[in-house]
Amino acid sequence: MSILQVKGLVAGYEPGLSIVKGASIQADEREIVVILGPNGAGKSSLIKAVAGLVPVTGGQVLLDGRDITHGAAHLRVRQGLAFVPQTENIFPLMTVDENLRVAGGVLARCEVQGRIDETYVMFPDLARQRRLAAGSLSGGQRQMLAVGRALIVHPRVLMLDEPSAGLSPKFVEMVFARLGEIRRAGLTIVLVEQNARAALAIGDRAYVLVEGREAHEGRAATLWDDPVVAELYLGQRRSA
Amino acid sequence: MTLQFIADGLISGSLIGLGAIGITLTYSILRFSNFAHGDLMAWGAYGTLAVVGGIGEVVGGAAPIGALSFGWPLILAALAGMVMTACLALLLDWLLFARLREKGQSIIVVMASFGASMALRSLLEFIFSSSPAYYSRGIQMAMPIGFGIRITPDQIVLLGVTVVLVTAMHLFMSRSQTGREMRAYSQNPALARVVGIDVSGVVRATWIIGAALACAAGVMVGILVQIRPLMGLDLLLPMFAAAILGGIGSVPGAVLGGLIIGLSEAAAVQLIGAEWRSAVAFGILMAVLLVRPVGLFGRAER
Ligand SMILES: Nc1ncnc2c1ncn2[C@@H]1O[C@H](COP(=O)(O)OP(=O)(O)O)[C@@H](O)[C@H]1O
Ligand SMILES: [Mg+2]
Repeated sequence: MSILQVKGLVAGYEPGLSIVKGASIQADEREIVVILGPNGAGKSSLIKAVAGLVPVTGGQVLLDGRDITHGAAHLRVRQGLAFVPQTENIFPLMTVDENLRVAGGVLARCEVQGRIDETYVMFPDLARQRRLAAGSLSGGQRQMLAVGRALIVHPRVLMLDEPSAGLSPKFVEMVFARLGEIRRAGLTIVLVEQNARAALAIGDRAYVLVEGREAHEGRAATLWDDPVVAELYLGQRRSA
Repeated sequence: MTLQFIADGLISGSLIGLGAIGITLTYSILRFSNFAHGDLMAWGAYGTLAVVGGIGEVVGGAAPIGALSFGWPLILAALAGMVMTACLALLLDWLLFARLREKGQSIIVVMASFGASMALRSLLEFIFSSSPAYYSRGIQMAMPIGFGIRITPDQIVLLGVTVVLVTAMHLFMSRSQTGREMRAYSQNPALARVVGIDVSGVVRATWIIGAALACAAGVMVGILVQIRPLMGLDLLLPMFAAAILGGIGSVPGAVLGGLIIGLSEAAAVQLIGAEWRSAVAFGILMAVLLVRPVGLFGRAER
């Protein structure tokens, strides 16, 4: 059963200028869905539209069968849809602890501390720096903080926009290892990635987005070798 | 030369600082310069005056508390005035600012606040006339406290009230969930929505806090000086100078900025002459904008 269904989504930043042009994707429970595509294809715009940050002019977003297409962004978090943007995904002037705590607003008051402690168990690096301004963290630690914060609410679907971008190989490996753990804990993951090989290695289903629309869909394991996909997009990267 | 300007400056500076908190929050969260903020102050002072009058009608006069010039009716009325001023701010937002903010051009919102300022001021003059009013007719004796400084009991108590309000405000912003949400929203509105923060709650809290503190400052000006429809307009430039000097978005910065402006004004009055008072805030504002536009506690935008 699909937990997240996006049907023919049309979205854009300015009226009359669609960036996402009828994209359809779906994610089943406990799946890792990978979205690949060239720069400027609209991957970030698609995932932001699903999160409620880009105005939608057509199509539907269903979470667990429920239509959330036009719901406010902040309500989607309560409904179980969490999002980690690619950049500016932490509050730099607040401490690590405050970054987590501020996201706990949707929880019952008594739950917050427990969830924060949980996050520190998962990311011990963060626990050591809980009193530091988040802006002083390294790129990898910021990404951990952003992921940890998204998980605070125990979402059912976690969407991430290029979580490995700009990280050192050590952190890239760590990010993908953590995503595997998160899926095993029962979450569904929608992952936009440039790092196609690593993403397809942990992914179940994959889409290739070209010009605001999915150009190809398939099992992640086989997508890497698919000649159509190679021609569409991956070819140039594989030879690179 | 005496040190009297220190007492005078601290007192007027703390009132400027209280008002500047609202300006700095409105600027960093709602992202516009609210030129009607001074008029919220005046409305708070007059609203409180009306409630004091009402209480007087019902229960008759009440004796002043100790050596102060006012009694419990003014304290109750000031609390009511804070609630009323907050409602007025929410009404203005609903009628005017929210609609314009949605269109996304901050200069239009700023111009609207000019208009709102004029309308609010004219309305006050229409209702209460432009001659000054007072909460109490009593004259207070200033007591010497050493170093040639004299201070009235009202001034001492209101300084204390300001310290309490500013401390409460600081704790609220740093410890409460709403305070954290306000800071988060001012740093990154889109990310705030992503982490589940309800923007309308943040906007409401900003207006309520700014307006309530403006009313408190207005009532204090009314107690220490007098109540006039123009009282808020006169403080507008010093309040903006304080907010910018302290660093936009910083509550402690606004208060420190207020104290610096207040002390500089008082020093200028004593050393150069009263006619230079209003030039001081302007001079400081210009100097900050030229030398350190982010202010004392401000940080450069991302
Ligand atoms: N905030 C924005 N406002 C206007 N246009 C944008 C904005 N963000 C992205 N775009 C445009 O949308 C298109 C797709 O960008 P994006 O969704 O970031 O693609 P991708 O993530 O696949 O690289 C680009 O042409 C970009 O210029
Ligand atoms: Mg992108």
